[in-house]
Amino acid sequence: MSGIRKPAKKNKKYEEIEIAEKEWKQNVLDKRVSRFNLLKSPTRFYSPLAVKNSNFLGKVGFPGQYPFTAGTNPFDFWRAYAEDAAKMGYRPEWGGAGGVGKYGGFGTAEDYRDYLIRMHSMGRSGGPNMAFDLVTQCGYDSDSPYAEGEVGRVGVAIDSFRDFTTIYEPYTGDLEIDRVPSNFTINAPAAIIIAMYAVLAEKRGIPLEKLRGTPQNDILKEFIARGTYIYPPKQSLRLFRDICVFCTRHMPKLNINSIGGYHIREAGATREQDLAFSMANAAAYIQAGIAGGLDVDSFAPKQTFNAFGGSMEIYQEIALQRAARRIYARMLKERFQAKNPRSMMIRQPITAHIGCSSTTLQRPLNNLTRAVVGGMAAGMSGGMPGVFPPYDEPLGLGHSQEAVQLQLDATRILIYEAKVADVNDPWAGSYFMESLTDEIESGTMAEMEKIEKMGGAVAAIENGYMQKAVSKSAYAKQNQIERQEEFVVGVNCFTNENEISVNVNRQVEATYDLELLKSAEERQKQKLEKLKRQRNSKTVLSSLSALKDHAKDESANLMIDICECVRNDVTLQEMCDVMREVFGEFQQTKL
Amino acid sequence: MVDQMKKPKTVDHSWDNLIAGVQTGNVRAMARLITRVEDREPGWKDAMKTIYPATGSARVFGITGSPGAGKSSLTCEIADELVSRGLTVGIIAVDPSSPFSGGALLGDRLRMKKLFTLKEIFIRSMATRGMLGGLSQAARDVVRIMDVFGKDIILIETVGVGQDEIEVVKAADLVMVVSIPGQGDGIQALKAGIMEIADLYIINKADLPGSEEVMADILAMLELSSEPGETVPPVLKTSALKNYGIKELVTTLLTHQIGKNKQDFKREIQAKEEILSLMESEVFSRISRQWEHSGELDNAIRQMIDKKKDPYSIVTDMLQQFI
Amino acid sequence: MSQGKKIRVLVAKPGLDGHERGAHVVAYGLRDAGFEVIYTGLRQTTKQIVNTAIQEDVDVVGLSILSGAHLSLTRKVIDGLKTQGAEDIMVIVGGIVPEGDIPLLKDMGVKEVFTAGTPVSAISDFIGAAVSSI
Repeated sequence: MSGIRKPAKKNKKYEEIEIAEKEWKQNVLDKRVSRFNLLKSPTRFYSPLAVKNSNFLGKVGFPGQYPFTAGTNPFDFWRAYAEDAAKMGYRPEWGGAGGVGKYGGFGTAEDYRDYLIRMHSMGRSGGPNMAFDLVTQCGYDSDSPYAEGEVGRVGVAIDSFRDFTTIYEPYTGDLEIDRVPSNFTINAPAAIIIAMYAVLAEKRGIPLEKLRGTPQNDILKEFIARGTYIYPPKQSLRLFRDICVFCTRHMPKLNINSIGGYHIREAGATREQDLAFSMANAAAYIQAGIAGGLDVDSFAPKQTFNAFGGSMEIYQEIALQRAARRIYARMLKERFQAKNPRSMMIRQPITAHIGCSSTTLQRPLNNLTRAVVGGMAAGMSGGMPGVFPPYDEPLGLGHSQEAVQLQLDATRILIYEAKVADVNDPWAGSYFMESLTDEIESGTMAEMEKIEKMGGAVAAIENGYMQKAVSKSAYAKQNQIERQEEFVVGVNCFTNENEISVNVNRQVEATYDLELLKSAEERQKQKLEKLKRQRNSKTVLSSLSALKDHAKDESANLMIDICECVRNDVTLQEMCDVMREVFGEFQQTKL
Repeated sequence: MVDQMKKPKTVDHSWDNLIAGVQTGNVRAMARLITRVEDREPGWKDAMKTIYPATGSARVFGITGSPGAGKSSLTCEIADELVSRGLTVGIIAVDPSSPFSGGALLGDRLRMKKLFTLKEIFIRSMATRGMLGGLSQAARDVVRIMDVFGKDIILIETVGVGQDEIEVVKAADLVMVVSIPGQGDGIQALKAGIMEIADLYIINKADLPGSEEVMADILAMLELSSEPGETVPPVLKTSALKNYGIKELVTTLLTHQIGKNKQDFKREIQAKEEILSLMESEVFSRISRQWEHSGELDNAIRQMIDKKKDPYSIVTDMLQQFI
Repeated sequence: MSQGKKIRVLVAKPGLDGHERGAHVVAYGLRDAGFEVIYTGLRQTTKQIVNTAIQEDVDVVGLSILSGAHLSLTRKVIDGLKTQGAEDIMVIVGGIVPEGDIPLLKDMGVKEVFTAGTPVSAISDFIGAAVSSI
């Protein structure tokens, strides 16, 4: 009957194509290859033969539905209002419409607060999108010997709840914290910052259930790629478990984490390693939440992704996004038995991109060209066609107004003139793209299996596997570039042409007064001294002692004790040091 | 590859100054003296002759075992504990040189960070530099320099899978072999010569599952291989990261008695090996230098390639000049 | 296999910056160029770096800094080496260094600054030439 005939028909179709392909190779392709004295063709072509086992509903599906290959949703929030935004001249990174503002942070808490007030006065009323200084990120106070030269440099210094409160002084009335979200790019001491957010709400009489925002809280990638860890991986996941349980119960609107393959790729990982390690980490976080007694669907919808890594290889980056969505959806459904589709979605602010490490210091204007390629890839992989970064990123001098304008306009040109984001997953069904997606998926799954066999992400970090894999890949890439096996225009080829140097006296928007940085360390130290004099040392000691005792008890949820410490003006380092005593510190594996 | 000829330093680092500096406890002088001796700069032998009489007070402990056993972390904890008992420590951390480039990645220090600013501790990373048997001589020289400086204890940490690394440990008074649980055929790795030189077995990362099994395996192995009446080397459990078993280990190190006869026998073997190996390298370098200089070696190579002469006859004939 | 003199380089990451890619790539690259490379990992205080440089008697200290704190951290390393009588140890800097800061570092005594995109062979050639007697 018809059921028996279809396969025969299909096979016949493939047979025909196979024969045609053979004939084409002989008469057209090979002839051309030998005409140019090559060993093989420098290009590839994909016919239906590349996707013989194609299965639209099972492997691609519709945007916003399992397996989400075609997109996490049919359109993002920004796309719904794109035409209005153009007419209004809307700047999304300024917040408003209840979003967070531009990623930033600097100096003492007072310096950052004053910056936020300035932003608000210019109509940029987004919630705090907080960068912390390395001292805070590594669990130290501004008076620690490790703090020298680093206080307030790459972000704001937070030593205690007082600092946190100071930053939120401008967030009242229409900008109260139940109306604007907050982002915290914090990992190792995330529990403390989240506790500060909770205690702030408590002091202001704001119900915790109303708080929104995203803490990065992705400690596992720190061991692999970013380096701001404190405790060993196992103990770090215990803290994650506690945060996950606490947030699910009390702050259900807060995202739990923002997982980054981005950092792993920027550290040198290959595309498959980026995706596989991210998925392994995501799995470890889910297991931690489940170990805390939670049902997967109660918290997985709040697990988000920061971004995966990027590169200039536009097709591969689009395929990576498709593969990532499919792999994650399958993992949640099949491995973790999730039922809620929202648990299976990859929620991330951006999709494909070029990655900041693809930009070059040589002939910086070329970075705009590169970033536009990234924007195209983004728009074709289900995201806003964001052109990023601004071309002067590698100069290390901040983004000039001109570079930012060019970047924003390039994005707008892709949205409104080229209309790149008007079609969901435009490459769906392409023989090439489906075959490439399958390839990246299987390469990634193989790597994921390797890690699972070791015992999962924690084991693969403890034995140094992920770290070594990344640094080996980084070295291999460097060698490829130095041997001209990979080309970077203006760096290892086509050099000594017009160097098109950039005028260094560019207008960089004066967001921070660099003079303030010079005194930041001293001012934070003075505040610490004052705090230690003024606070009740009895309650400090008792809350620290409780934290220590409960840290030793695997079953205790440390968020309770951390909140109490926060209320009693215990400093960030004091809390971290007590946990250092119990958990120990992570020891790097050798190179 | 980069030209390895180094510019002489602008600061006065003559042999005499350096030796005087070492004897007065100058850390820079010791470091510079080690470099010049390790590099075999002309005059190194005289320098070693000068300091030799002042050696002999330091105790030398060797730490070996397969990669991943946690030797560097263990070395760090042992040194830290020794310092807390009022002793000063020199550490030699050995890593293999690349056979392709001659360079080396010396990364053992990464696990010893807490020792870097202790004035009682001096850490020197050494590469094997591809010399068969040559490393053990260089390590012996560095041990002597640290000894003359006044270090009470010298720890030599190596890899323990190649022949080089076993060689170097023969320069030690006492050798520890480190294993970890779950290494499966890790006990196999203990074979190749290590059992003959091990005075003490350590099971590190003892908090991991499988430590009892490893303990049992080692004890069984020791039973089988020991002579009747012979004392069996101790087997200790530690966790460097959790600071477990370290105090007991250090006490054992400081008080351990290798049987007196065995100790004398060991000293004889070490002296014999050192004399013979110095002789070997001296003889070889003198003869080969002369052959290369005079062009005889080039002739011989030509003859062999043209099949005019076999290599065995070439060597016998060339040696006639000397013997 | 050449015995004898080897050029020894300390690759160090001072301060709290946790980005290691550059340091790793340079460490591997210099090893493959025939140097002996000592790598001490993250979060080195300047005191630890100075002590390591002296004990290991390195010819070069290479500081890898991406956090913007290069001026203060380099200053401390150079002063520390001087205090211990080791000002003859060469110091080079790599990472994210704005062009305007390069002359400032050189005034402090830094021999050369290697910014993003520099091939590792350029660094090994530089070191080889600077340390060699030719």
